[in-house]
Formats: sequence, structure tokens, C-alpha cells
Amino acid sequence: MAHTLPSSDQSSDQDKWDSGGLECKGQLLIKIVMRNRLTALVVDGDTTCWVQEQELLHSYGVQTLGVDNSRDAVDLIASDAEFNLIIIEKILPVLNGLEVTRQICEIGVRCKMLEVTACSGESERQAFLAIGVDVFIEKPLDPEHLVPILREVDGQ
Amino acid sequence: MDRYGMQNQIACIRSLFDQGYLDEQFIQLEELQDDANPNFVQEIVTLFYTDSTRLIQNIELTLNSRPINFSKLDDYMHQFKGSSSSIGAKKVTSECAVFRQYCAAGNAEAYIKQEHAILRKKLEFYFQMMGQAAVAQTT
Repeated sequence: MAHTLPSSDQSSDQDKWDSGGLECKGQLLIKIVMRNRLTALVVDGDTTCWVQEQELLHSYGVQTLGVDNSRDAVDLIASDAEFNLIIIEKILPVLNGLEVTRQICEIGVRCKMLEVTACSGESERQAFLAIGVDVFIEKPLDPEHLVPILREVDGQ
Repeated sequence: MDRYGMQNQIACIRSLFDQGYLDEQFIQLEELQDDANPNFVQEIVTLFYTDSTRLIQNIELTLNSRPINFSKLDDYMHQFKGSSSSIGAKKVTSECAVFRQYCAAGNAEAYIKQEHAILRKKLEFYFQMMGQAAVAQTT
């Protein structure tokens, strides 16, 4: 059973939603038309990053749920909450991002997983990719990296 | 917004870019701001300063403890780099990367705090100007 997500910026999203899809404004914000309304889980202990990532996702009509620690993230996934996209930071309260990702993958999650982190070496990048992360991105999360992923998840 | 107000605002923000305090990420934040979320930039910057002030306090405590817990310090600097890059605080972000070098010299804390404080003053001036421009628009 899908978990009911708290609504995103609904009035703004309604204004932008038309019969064909969802258009995104701005010059740095790459314009795309989404066919579906995607959902994303953002796991980051830092509020500034969490807010920026969620706002960026909202601008593409993605409905988001944010958690600031690994325990809540694992509990959410274990309770059958479903998302199109999961974004995880490496450094988290309770368990580190690598361990959280491993546990989420062991539960059997098959959605797109993004590791979005401030700094890391090649060995860490390889470690995350080896346990099931699809894409490894250095912060900040930006449209250049996000848009191709959204297109893929949207089936474009 | 009247023309004079807009020109001032543009000059102010351009100066912050020219001096290397802000990067393109800040423009992206401005583009995310809309009628439904009209104060997004100011809110996220305020959030950054609340969070980063706490982080700096933690960094201070860690640096003052003996022996220094470098693993914890690394985690704090990781968070600091992440949140400063998220708001486009270019100089603060790049100084996080050289933090360790100064750590060895014993004056890392002062250096990071200095850059953090300088950026704060400049961003406060920017928001003050935006407020004045908004008032000018209504009069």
C-alpha cells in the first residue's frame, strides 16, 4: 500500500499543471514537460540541503517527502511506502548513508536511487554504486543532473 | 520595482558574484522563488545561517577538545560544505575544502568564521536592498 505523502506546493503545482504535462520555468531551471506526477523521498540531515532539494523537485512537479535521519528512512521504506526516486546523503544521523542504502536495497526497493553528497572520493563513489545506487552526484543537486533522471523515470 | 531599484539590486548581486562570494547556485534559488513561495531565497539563506552557526559551534568544540576527533570534524565540514554549496556560497564552500590545511596550522576555525561572517554581512545588505526596492515599488 502506498504511503500517503504530505502534499507539496499544491496551488503552485495546479497553476503549472495542464492537460499534457508539467512545464518548468526559468533559465537555469531546464524546461521539460513531465507526463506523470512523480514522487521522491529525500533523506538528508542538513535542513538547508533538504529544503533546496525538495524545492527543486517541486519545481518539476515532483511530490516529495523529506526525512532527516536514516532510521526514519528505513522505517518508511519497510512500511511499504513507494517512491519513484530516493535521494540520500552520505553523512546521516543514526546510520551512515551507505548502510541506509544497503538496508533499503535489501528490503527490495527497485526505484531510482541517487546519492547526493558534499564531498567524497572515488572509493566511496564505487562503494555506493556497488550496493545499488544508480547515480552519484556532488552537491548541490542541480537541473543538469536531475533532469535526465526525471526524464528516464517519467518514461520519456 | 522601479528602474533605479532594479539597477541597484542587479549591481549588488553582481558584485557578490564578481567578488566570488556567490555562484550560479544562488541564481537557481532565485529562479525557484515564485508567487507561491515569494520569500524562498531569504528563508533558505536564514535557514543556512541558523544551521551553519550551530555547525561552527560544534566545530569549535571539536577543535578545542583533546585529542581532536578528526572523524567528527570531517563530518561537520562535510555538512558545512554541503549546505553552503546548496545556497551558492562559493567562497565558504571552497574554503571548506582547504580547511584541513589550516587545521594543521591551528587557525582554521578563525578563517572559516571570517568568511562566514563576511558573506552574512553581504547577504544582509542584499536583502535590505531588495526590501527597499519592494517599498519603492509600492510608493
